[in-house]
Amino acid sequence: MPSVVTANNLRSGAVVYLGANGTWVEELIQALVASDADALKVLEAEAAAAVARTEVTAVYAMDVRFVEGRIDPISVRERIRAAHAPTV
Amino acid sequence: MYRYDEFDHHFVAERSTQFRGQVERRLSGELTEEQFKPLRLQNGLYLQLHAYMLRIAIPYGVLSARQMRQLAFIARKWDRGFGHFTTRQNIQFNWTRLEDAPDILDALAEVEMHAIQTSGNCIRNVTADPYAGVALDEIEDPRVWAEILRQWSTIHPEFTFLPRKFKIAITGAAEDRAAILFHDIGLKIVKGPGGKTGFRVYVGGGQGRTPYVGLPITEFIGRDRLLSFLEAIMRVYNLHGRRDNIYKARIKILVNALGLEEFRTQVEAEWGKLDKPSIDLPEVEQKRIAAYFAALPLKPAPTKDARIDARRRSDEGFDRWMRLNVLPHRVPGHAIVNISLKEPGKIPGDASAAQMEVVADLATRFGNDEIRVTYQQNLVLPNVALRDLDNVYDVLVKADLHTANTELITDIIACPGLDYCNLANARSIPIAQEIALKFADPVKAEAIGPLRLNISGCINACGHHHAGNIGILGVDKKGTEHYQITLGGSPKDDAEIGVIVGPSFTAEALPGAIGTIVETYLSRRTDKSETFVMAYRRLGKAPFRNALYGADAPRGPSDKKEPADV
Repeated sequence: MPSVVTANNLRSGAVVYLGANGTWVEELIQALVASDADALKVLEAEAAAAVARTEVTAVYAMDVRFVEGRIDPISVRERIRAAHAPTV
Repeated sequence: MYRYDEFDHHFVAERSTQFRGQVERRLSGELTEEQFKPLRLQNGLYLQLHAYMLRIAIPYGVLSARQMRQLAFIARKWDRGFGHFTTRQNIQFNWTRLEDAPDILDALAEVEMHAIQTSGNCIRNVTADPYAGVALDEIEDPRVWAEILRQWSTIHPEFTFLPRKFKIAITGAAEDRAAILFHDIGLKIVKGPGGKTGFRVYVGGGQGRTPYVGLPITEFIGRDRLLSFLEAIMRVYNLHGRRDNIYKARIKILVNALGLEEFRTQVEAEWGKLDKPSIDLPEVEQKRIAAYFAALPLKPAPTKDARIDARRRSDEGFDRWMRLNVLPHRVPGHAIVNISLKEPGKIPGDASAAQMEVVADLATRFGNDEIRVTYQQNLVLPNVALRDLDNVYDVLVKADLHTANTELITDIIACPGLDYCNLANARSIPIAQEIALKFADPVKAEAIGPLRLNISGCINACGHHHAGNIGILGVDKKGTEHYQITLGGSPKDDAEIGVIVGPSFTAEALPGAIGTIVETYLSRRTDKSETFVMAYRRLGKAPFRNALYGADAPRGPSDKKEPADV
């Protein structure tokens, strides 16, 4: 299953995703998608380096799918995180 | 109320400075997250879904107007202009930044507040009857002992790394308004031999994954020996509480595993070994603390006011608010005013900075500078003169704080749920909003009568679902939010744990199911004096179950008290 690497910005706590060139982006649409386990390992190594640089914390990979070409988080939790806001 | 002395000021300021250094070391990379996490949690700072959440202690739910104004200031400056009052009489800010946390702690210290003991495996903020000191049915003001317990437990070296968190609640009244039977230790001030006051002590209550109602470990302990007795309980728990399994680490599991008799025997043996005079508080110190909570010099006044009575006759909304939210005060001519944070459609327990300032101003102008926070996530002005009630109401109306629903079905306790919380399995807030809107008609809600409806977004039960007359627990069923309904719980003197009524519902189906339960109650109650929980106890769950699922619905594992879905 495709996946992206997510975390929280260390200073602000904001939800972020690993994007191109090791940058952390707030919009899921800009996240890099790993299509297999090997690709995910590369992303996770980049994320670990960012943790060491004290950019982010609470890193993990999350499963996604594509809906009409857009990245869609599978779980309700990740949809709420991706919206950067409660649903109410 | 209690005022910091030089020691308190120095201690809180020092703690804030220490945390500033810890944050700097974390941001510089000197501390890893693993090293930093326990330090931030000891200062109430959690990492939630969207941001850092700072949980601030409001000792036994007591606030001054100045403190409330400072909370409003913090909400505006470092959060998004609102705060969330919790079921531990605390407040949480959901959108704080790590780098701002030291400044927030400094701002709190300015008004004698902090975030210590709001997280971690320590004795948490002690909670108390929100009507302490003013209730008609009170034997003695529990705030005195809540403050003594706060001072005794704060960074107590033996109790800083307990097997699990530890919650104490205290009441001095005939009616339990602090849910003491759902606490690790519940204290009830009672009259003992010779008319002296002391404490009935309950132990091993709690909610969460394995709910228990607390059991009486002693019917009476004198004031002069309370602290050493509690210390003996803590020592037995600290020694034998399970540290190998987080789900079995609370004292309720130990009390249940040993049995009350054996637990009591061990506590008494430990108590016998303690050097009591070095622990127990001398009477002179008890009196020194009690002086902070001396009754206000309120002048007794007539219990009728012609202007108020006339307004009640001409203004249905004011009359309903008087009937539901205003209670008699121990001093004639004065009243306890409940301020509901449960306007149907709004987030239970949330207050905007502007609303906090309105409440602070009311406390200054009409409330003798006192505010209370209830564990039901509402606010209280405990000292308002009867003649001022219309003025208070008019100000509350302008701030949308005049909802008249104390203890009704729309006075819903709800945790933040999956909209904010890292632990949640399902959303609580939209469920609370939907149900409250369904019963938003105040005439309908009042006709239903007293009904506690509590919602938790996970089994940790921050929303007290086990103790709800109707409890709702959010569960994750294969990636979809579902909601399990329990019936018959009660947080009061007749404390009971709700029983699961049947299979869970989707979010869409849930409000209809609650409607069915309420209609079943209304059609079956003997008359209006039989409350929901009374009717449930008489009828059992069968009529509710049949109404929800049909009389032929199979009986299954969900009949058990333990949740079947989690």
